Amino acid sequence: MSDYSMKDIEWAKINRDVLASLESPRKEFWMVLSVCVLLVLCGAAAEAYQYNEGLGVALMNRPHFWQLYISNFVFWIGMSHSGTLLSAILLLTQADWRKPIYRFAEAMTLFSILTAAIFPVIHLGRVWNMYWVLPYPNERTIWPNFRSPLLWDAAAITTYATSSVLFLYIGMIPDLAICRDNATGWRKKLYTALSIGWMGRASEWMAFRKTYVLLACFLVPLAVSVHSIVASDFAMSIMPDWHITSFPPYFVAGALYSGCAAIITLFVLLRYVFKFEEYMTTEIMDKTAKLTFAIAMVWNYLNLGEYASIWYSNDMFEKEVLLEKFFGPYHWVVWGMLICALIAPFAMAFKKVRHNMWAMFWLSLVLQLGMWLERFQIVSPPLASNHEPWTWAVVWPGTVQLTITAASFGWFTMLFLIFCKVFPSVSMYEVKEMVFHRRKASSRTDMEDLSKVKDEMIKTEEGLS
Amino acid sequence: MRRRKKHFLFGVYDDFDKARDVVSELKVLDLKEMVVDGIELYSPIEHPEVEEILGEFHQPIQRFTFFGAITGACCAFLLVAAAAQAMFTVQPQGGKPVIPLPMDIVITYEGTIMFGVYSTIIAFLIYAGMPKRLKKYYTQKVSEDQIGVEVQVDPAKSDKARAVLEKCGALEIREVTQ
Repeated sequence: MSDYSMKDIEWAKINRDVLASLESPRKEFWMVLSVCVLLVLCGAAAEAYQYNEGLGVALMNRPHFWQLYISNFVFWIGMSHSGTLLSAILLLTQADWRKPIYRFAEAMTLFSILTAAIFPVIHLGRVWNMYWVLPYPNERTIWPNFRSPLLWDAAAITTYATSSVLFLYIGMIPDLAICRDNATGWRKKLYTALSIGWMGRASEWMAFRKTYVLLACFLVPLAVSVHSIVASDFAMSIMPDWHITSFPPYFVAGALYSGCAAIITLFVLLRYVFKFEEYMTTEIMDKTAKLTFAIAMVWNYLNLGEYASIWYSNDMFEKEVLLEKFFGPYHWVVWGMLICALIAPFAMAFKKVRHNMWAMFWLSLVLQLGMWLERFQIVSPPLASNHEPWTWAVVWPGTVQLTITAASFGWFTMLFLIFCKVFPSVSMYEVKEMVFHRRKASSRTDMEDLSKVKDEMIKTEEGLS
Repeated sequence: MRRRKKHFLFGVYDDFDKARDVVSELKVLDLKEMVVDGIELYSPIEHPEVEEILGEFHQPIQRFTFFGAITGACCAFLLVAAAAQAMFTVQPQGGKPVIPLPMDIVITYEGTIMFGVYSTIIAFLIYAGMPKRLKKYYTQKVSEDQIGVEVQVDPAKSDKARAVLEKCGALEIREVTQ
């Protein structure tokens, strides 16, 4: 495959194609959106029921105070990682293939965080007391307990959410200006306000590039810290199977893994729905799949390393929980996770799979299912067989929890699709830059080839004479 | 006091190299006849080599980032330390430290990044001169596939600058006094 593919696309065509995606998606877009809205409505009804009846209807009782809501919280926080983190890393390493796909990946981050943020609130039961996590002066001088990892979570997620929004927004300003120049009606007003007078002046570009790189430098360690802190929610406790030193890197690798899988799913979806075949190419899918495979192998290593360290530590409680996970009532969750997240990614070692969009789409869904099961097997099985045998109980999520879980997927997809309908999901200026540099590199190579041929001809002539 | 009106010429080109030539010629013209008061380039993409022709831009955004991050670290640490101190006065801590350093490091770290990011954004807005209104001569073509060269000139000598813009293959020239 040529390193210089996409070099022949006209800049004006890039604008036209991306702006067209804001106007006329395929009819499947509206079908998917309708299903999502329906799911969200079902979730709202389930939450209203739980709000009125109490958390008992969600079957959350001793010892299962943390169950599906917290698994979902960890899953969605994990999902949010790849977008911004990968975008920032690839920006700093100047990997130009990120350009057509980073915008929707960053948007994915934002909506994953918004989805994740719902679960601690729902899980709280008394949702009206959520504001107690804020450190505000009050008459009893009671402050939030900053010693608790749960509060670190609140601080880290707030920082990550606001920084990701700003990173997404700053990166979008030149494109918002393009939209402003081509829009009418309410869209014109919206884009004019959001593009804050961007005109593409040299001084603007210079300040923009410096800012963007500085933000990327901040976001890489921030993303790592956020999921490490989420891991600390578990690792700082003394529960068997949670109190593990390698939990933070294990969580970060898992987050990157599930996020990459989500990027692949949305890649194929957007490519089809918005007709982006020319920009979201097989070459880019190939690179994304290779990256996902590499991250999957890191996650595999950390996962197996965790089992090994528990086994060789010979700690009675830890070993008991580990055996319960593999052979107890939750065994199918653990085996399901191993099949979906540990074995399935090996399919990406094959070029034929990496180059088949729909194979990658279904494979990415399998990987995400595996990672969702992984979150569930982290949270529930250790609670079912903890240090206190008289509290042992196997509890499966009920209808309310499952409905709200399904609604979270609808909520995420709904927000994402609305974003793609209002804002350009492919970065127009970055694709232009990519085309510009590839064209330049290609012509340089052609010139070098020509001069080589010329040199050889001269040598041959000299030899003949 | 009434603001002195400025006179601008705005040429549009289909190629970055042509725009580079215009800037070079305008600089030569300015050396000879003191015609040009300022040059700015408009482009749909970033051209890092623009500093070679327009001169280096003084945009110390990283200073804002640095001091913002330091301020964030101090504020976050003070917040958690003060909250712990306030709690200490109403709740006995049972021998635990009043200000637990290892735990506070996490919040301090998050505060550092949060303020660092905010101050970087503020610096961006300051040095990019935004938000601002669009200029009268701005054309949407420079956000599509063309390069714009804005020249602030002495109105009496604008013909000479215009001739240079035309000579280098301008697709369109706009002239505005504002």
